[in-house]
Amino acid sequence: MEQFVGQIMPYFTVAIFLGGVTWRLWRWMIPRIMHNITLSPFPGTWTAAVTWWVWQIAIFWNILKFDRALWIGAFPFHAALIAIIAGHAMGIYTLGLQFHMIAPLLVSADLSVWLSDLLGTTMGLVFLVAVLYLLYRRFTVEKVRAISSTSDFLHLFLLLTIAGLGNYMRLVPDAHTTYLEARTFMAGLFTFNPVALPQNAFFMWHFFFVQCLMIIFPFSKLMHVFGFFWMRWMVNRPFKEWAPGMPGAKVQVTK
Amino acid sequence: MSTETAKGLRQPKRANEKLFRTLGIEPVPDEKKVEEAIRHLDDFRNKLRSFVVTMENCVKCGLCADNCHTYLGTKDPNNIPAGRADLIRKAYKRYFTPQGKLFGPLVGAEELTLETLEKWYSYFYQCSECRRCSHTCPFGLDTAEITMVGRQILFWLGIGPQLHTATAGAILKTGNHMGLTKAGIIDTLEFLAEEIEEDRNGLKVEFPTDKPDSDILYIPSSADFMLNPNTLKGAGMFFKWVGANWTMSSRITEAGNFGYLMDQTRIQREMVTRLYEECTTLGIKKIVWGECGHGWRAAKMYVASYSDLPGVAKIPMTHIHDEVAALIESGQLDLDPTRNSQKITLHDPCNYVRACGLCDQMRVIMRAVTSDFVEMTPNRERNFCCGGGSGVLFDDPAMYEYRILASNKKAEQVRETEAEVLCAPCSICKAQLYPMVKEHKLPVEVVGLIDLVGHALVFPEE
Repeated sequence: MEQFVGQIMPYFTVAIFLGGVTWRLWRWMIPRIMHNITLSPFPGTWTAAVTWWVWQIAIFWNILKFDRALWIGAFPFHAALIAIIAGHAMGIYTLGLQFHMIAPLLVSADLSVWLSDLLGTTMGLVFLVAVLYLLYRRFTVEKVRAISSTSDFLHLFLLLTIAGLGNYMRLVPDAHTTYLEARTFMAGLFTFNPVALPQNAFFMWHFFFVQCLMIIFPFSKLMHVFGFFWMRWMVNRPFKEWAPGMPGAKVQVTK
Repeated sequence: MSTETAKGLRQPKRANEKLFRTLGIEPVPDEKKVEEAIRHLDDFRNKLRSFVVTMENCVKCGLCADNCHTYLGTKDPNNIPAGRADLIRKAYKRYFTPQGKLFGPLVGAEELTLETLEKWYSYFYQCSECRRCSHTCPFGLDTAEITMVGRQILFWLGIGPQLHTATAGAILKTGNHMGLTKAGIIDTLEFLAEEIEEDRNGLKVEFPTDKPDSDILYIPSSADFMLNPNTLKGAGMFFKWVGANWTMSSRITEAGNFGYLMDQTRIQREMVTRLYEECTTLGIKKIVWGECGHGWRAAKMYVASYSDLPGVAKIPMTHIHDEVAALIESGQLDLDPTRNSQKITLHDPCNYVRACGLCDQMRVIMRAVTSDFVEMTPNRERNFCCGGGSGVLFDDPAMYEYRILASNKKAEQVRETEAEVLCAPCSICKAQLYPMVKEHKLPVEVVGLIDLVGHALVFPEE
C-alpha cells in the first residue's frame, strides 16, 4: 500500500490531472462564442475588463456584495487554500527558509522557519474552520441543500479529511513529519527516483487523499478555477457602441 | 403528453400542433422526444460555449437563489437559477461527462425523461432571462443562456406556449406581434396625430410609414399602437422637435423579437433580415430603436451575429433614449420638467441595464423631464426584474398567479419609494406592471419614459 501510494500512484495522478484538465479546456474551446453576451455596464477597454476580473478574484466582490454569509466562509476558505498550496511548495522546497530567501536582511533563517510554521498552522486552522462552515451551510441552508448533489458534500468531506490530517500532523508532535523528510520524498518523485514515504501513516493518508482530489479535479466542478476565466472572457469584455446623433435632423448633438 | 405528468407543475397553455406546423415545425411524437432532445443538447454542446461553460462550472454555492425574483416569489427550488439550470445539467452530466456516465446520481447525473421535459416547459417559461443571476454569480455564469437553450429545444420538439408561438407566427405574417395590418397601423397613427393636435393646442405631428428616402428608421414596439400609445406619441413629438427625416416600416413595426425568446434560429433571423431589407429599400442611414427591453438586446447585441446580409455592421443603430439623452446633455432640447411634477420612480428594464449598457441615459432624461424623481433600491444593473421578462405574460390562471408572485419583489421596491408614478420604459415591463400594480394594490400609474419626454417638450407653435 505504502509503495503504491508513495511511488506508483503519484505518476498516474499527475498524468490524469494534467491530461484531464487539458482535455476539459480543449473541450471548452471547441464550441464558439456565438453571440455577444457582454454584461453591462461594459468595460471601456480590455485593461478595465481584466482589472474587473482581478478585482473579483482578489476579494470575491460579487459574493461580498450579494451574499455576505457565504463570503464569510468562501473567502477565508480560498485565501487559506492558496496560502496552503504556496506554503507547501515554498516551505518544503526551501525547508522553511522562504522568507529568509526573499528578504535576507530583514528575516533571519530562524525567524523564517518560525514564520513558516506560524503561517502554516494558522492557515491550516482557518481552512479547517472554513470548510466546516461551508459544510454546515450546505447542510442547513435550505436553498443550498436543495441544489446540492451527493458529490457536493463529498468534495467538502474530502477537503475536511485532507485538512484534518494535515493539521493533526502539525499540531501533534508524535505525528509530525519534518520539512526535510517531505522534501526528500518529493525530490525522489520529481527526479523519477521514487523513495519510500516517510514512516508516518498520517502522512501517507494525507498524501493519498490529496491525490484523490487531484484525480477528481478535472471531472468535477473544481474546474471552476479555470471556468471563471472562460466565462468572464465572454461576459465582461469591452463593447463599442454607436455614437448618438441623427443624420439629417435639424437639431444635432454638439460636442 | 399526459396531463398526469404535469400535475403540480405550473405550465402555460400550449400551442397546438397545427400552429407549430405553420412555423415549419413538425411536432415530435412523445416516444421520440427524449432522444431528439439529447441530440439537440449534443449539438449545443459542440456549438455554444456559453452553454458548455455554464453547464460545467456551477459550484452550487446558492448565491443566485436570493438574487432571483422567481425564487423569491415562489420559493420553488427549481426556480433557483442553479436549480433551474440543473434540469438540463443533470442530463448533460449523464450523457456527456465521464463522471456522470460512471457515477450517475452520486454526481447529480440523471436520465432525461418525458417528466423532465415537462419540468423544462414549466420552469424555462418561469425564468425571465433577466440575467440578474449572471450579474451576481461569482463567475458570471449565465443561466439565461440555459433557459434559451431549453426553450429552443422545446420549440424544436413542438412544445411552446400559445402566447409565444402565436406571437412568433404573427410576426412572420404581419411584421409585428399584435398582428396589425398596414391599414390598421396607418389608421392608428392618424388617430394618434389627431389626439396630439387636440391635447397640444393644434400641434401637428406626422407619423410617416414606409416613406422612401428617409434618414431614420424608427422601430416602435407594436404594443405602443394599442396599450402604450403615449410612448409612440412621445417618439413622434421628439422626432418632430428635432426635425428628423424619419419613418416607420410596416414590415417591421416591432421593436420586440419573440424569436429571441423561443426560436433564436428561424424567427429571430427573419426579423434581422427584414430590418436590413427595409434599410436598403427606404434608404435608411440610421436605425433608432423604441422602448422594448428584450428587443433592444436582440437588436443591439445579436444583429451582428445573426444577419446573413453583409451591410449589417455598417448601419448605425441606437436606442431612442441614447438620442434623447445626448441632445439633453448638449443642451439642445427645450423641456419643461414641471409638466411631470408627480413623485416618480424608474424601473430599470433588465435588458437595458444588464445587457445593453443603457442606464445613465435614462437618468439624464428622467432628471430633465421630471421634477420629483426618486430612485428605487436596488437600482441600475442591480435592479430586480418586473416578473414578466422574456414574454412571461401568460393569462391562464396558474401562470397569472405566478406572474403576480414573481412581481412581489418589484412591488415591494415600488412601495418603498412612495412614488405616484412608475416609469417603466419597456413594453413587456409595462404589460407586466399594469396587472402587478392592480394586484398588489399600489397607488401608482405606469408610464413609459418617452411618454414623459413628449409631455415635457416645449414647442414654439403650441
